[in-house]
Amino acid sequence: MIKFAFATATLAFSVSFALAQDKPAPPPMWQQGRPASLADSKLAPNPGKMTETQASEVPLDKLKLPKGFKVEVWAAGLVGGRAMAFSDSGKKIYVGTRGIGRVYEVTDAGDKRTVRVVVDKLNQPSGVAFQGGSLYVMAIDKVLRYDGIEDKPSGAPVDMTKAFDLPPEQHHNWKYLAFGPDKKLYVPFGGPCNICEPPTKEYAQLRRYNPDGTGKEVIATGIRNTQGFDWHPKTGEIWFTDHGRDWLGDNGPEDELNRISKPGLFFGFPYCHAKGIPDPDVAKGKKDACKDVTLPVTTMGPHAAVMGIKFYTGDMFPKEYQGVAFIARKGSWNRTKKFGYDVVTVKATADGKNPKITPFMTGFMDPKANSFWGRPAYISQLKDGSLLVSDEQLGVIYRISYGAPKK
Amino acid sequence: MTAGIPSIAAQPKIFTENYLVMTREGIRGNDAMQGLLKSVPDREIVALAVYFSKLTARKPDGAVDKTLFARGKQVAAQNRCATCHERDFRGREQMPRLAGQREDFLAEAMLAYRQYRRPGGDTLMAAALYGISEPDLKALAHYLSRVK
Repeated sequence: MIKFAFATATLAFSVSFALAQDKPAPPPMWQQGRPASLADSKLAPNPGKMTETQASEVPLDKLKLPKGFKVEVWAAGLVGGRAMAFSDSGKKIYVGTRGIGRVYEVTDAGDKRTVRVVVDKLNQPSGVAFQGGSLYVMAIDKVLRYDGIEDKPSGAPVDMTKAFDLPPEQHHNWKYLAFGPDKKLYVPFGGPCNICEPPTKEYAQLRRYNPDGTGKEVIATGIRNTQGFDWHPKTGEIWFTDHGRDWLGDNGPEDELNRISKPGLFFGFPYCHAKGIPDPDVAKGKKDACKDVTLPVTTMGPHAAVMGIKFYTGDMFPKEYQGVAFIARKGSWNRTKKFGYDVVTVKATADGKNPKITPFMTGFMDPKANSFWGRPAYISQLKDGSLLVSDEQLGVIYRISYGAPKK
Repeated sequence: MTAGIPSIAAQPKIFTENYLVMTREGIRGNDAMQGLLKSVPDREIVALAVYFSKLTARKPDGAVDKTLFARGKQVAAQNRCATCHERDFRGREQMPRLAGQREDFLAEAMLAYRQYRRPGGDTLMAAALYGISEPDLKALAHYLSRVK
């Protein structure tokens, strides 16, 4: 007991001593690694929009798609809406958010959609997934499961937080969630900084769990911040997007599209970025910073903020889109000239060779004015083969179809 | 104006919008304000934010403690507050006006950020204030409330 009291006193002393030393505070997370040359930069994260946008207020005429494709506002009123998860019946779609703390349920009534809030006041509940009649919601610090939610819309959730063993750091630890073909739940844990050696081994990795939170396995490491993945329709391998670090100038390091050809691969964070750029801060003086690093299928552009990925498997779009990856790039903040703000297709062989990036949905950004009005974030495929694209800025979901309307 | 209640005149529109929405949603944990905002729809929140953004900013407090002011200025520079809040601290977009804000409010808000007791507070602000001593936060509040 005496020993304990002594230890506490020493700790208290060293803390006040440290403060008395007036050590300069570390810069905020998004400024870590910022060089002196950019000290006067005024770049800051883009503000989100926390108020509702009506469908009629969306400047649809500004959007551009390849010939034969059509876009409409499919659902509105989902402030901050990001990733979408279909219920088993396919009639409901659950949509996660960050700052506004809500999860929405969209009900498709054929000619219109209704929206309700399933849960609110959560700490960035961006992770949503559905399996076996249950909705899974993951916030930074909480995991909830809603059993039989399609039949019991107001049923209380089961708190699964303990079982998933979430680490304490919050930055880059909001989630994208998905169940794999193996019925396991895949969960990323981002690097808790712009650039750093993570404080413990629990970060910068992709894990999978049994749906009840048991059987935790680390599938891949060295992943800075993935906010989207999908399984290749031919190989069943995971392809994931990953955000590159900030404050190394306008041109990079670029975001990535990666492929997990086997478990246990290391994707480079924090030492090696993009197609083999050693990190000037963390890998300073380190030889072979990129040794044993699995390089990306392709880089996806500087500060692009690559988000959701969906391999197209429907039969509505022309044949050349079969098996092609649609990827949303939410758009840059850490760049003097805005970049991204679009949906692109990536066509590559099943083993990731010959990648070709083609813009698909553009017009969210005005390059001349260096401004944007929308931020495409995630892509889902409806049963009829049309695609849904969520716009996190406006809180709406677009539907993209091809050919004449079916009705 | 009442002690501890912030001045919202000339705050950036997006900041006020976000603040009112998060308070209404119960994320900010301000029960009194949440009650007032409970049935206020988004379009009225936007209108309020526009209105407040167009008001003239509060005049800075009078008496200046020269030592405290100088120290606060130094702390603001060291921590690059102006990157987001602008050189004259008028704020922009989602980042609030600090210039002319009430000293007592600023001091308490910054301390609450640093001690992770500001519910719904931006994790970036907590990180920005990490490690700044309480006397320095007080100096910063004094400086910002009087900066011209």
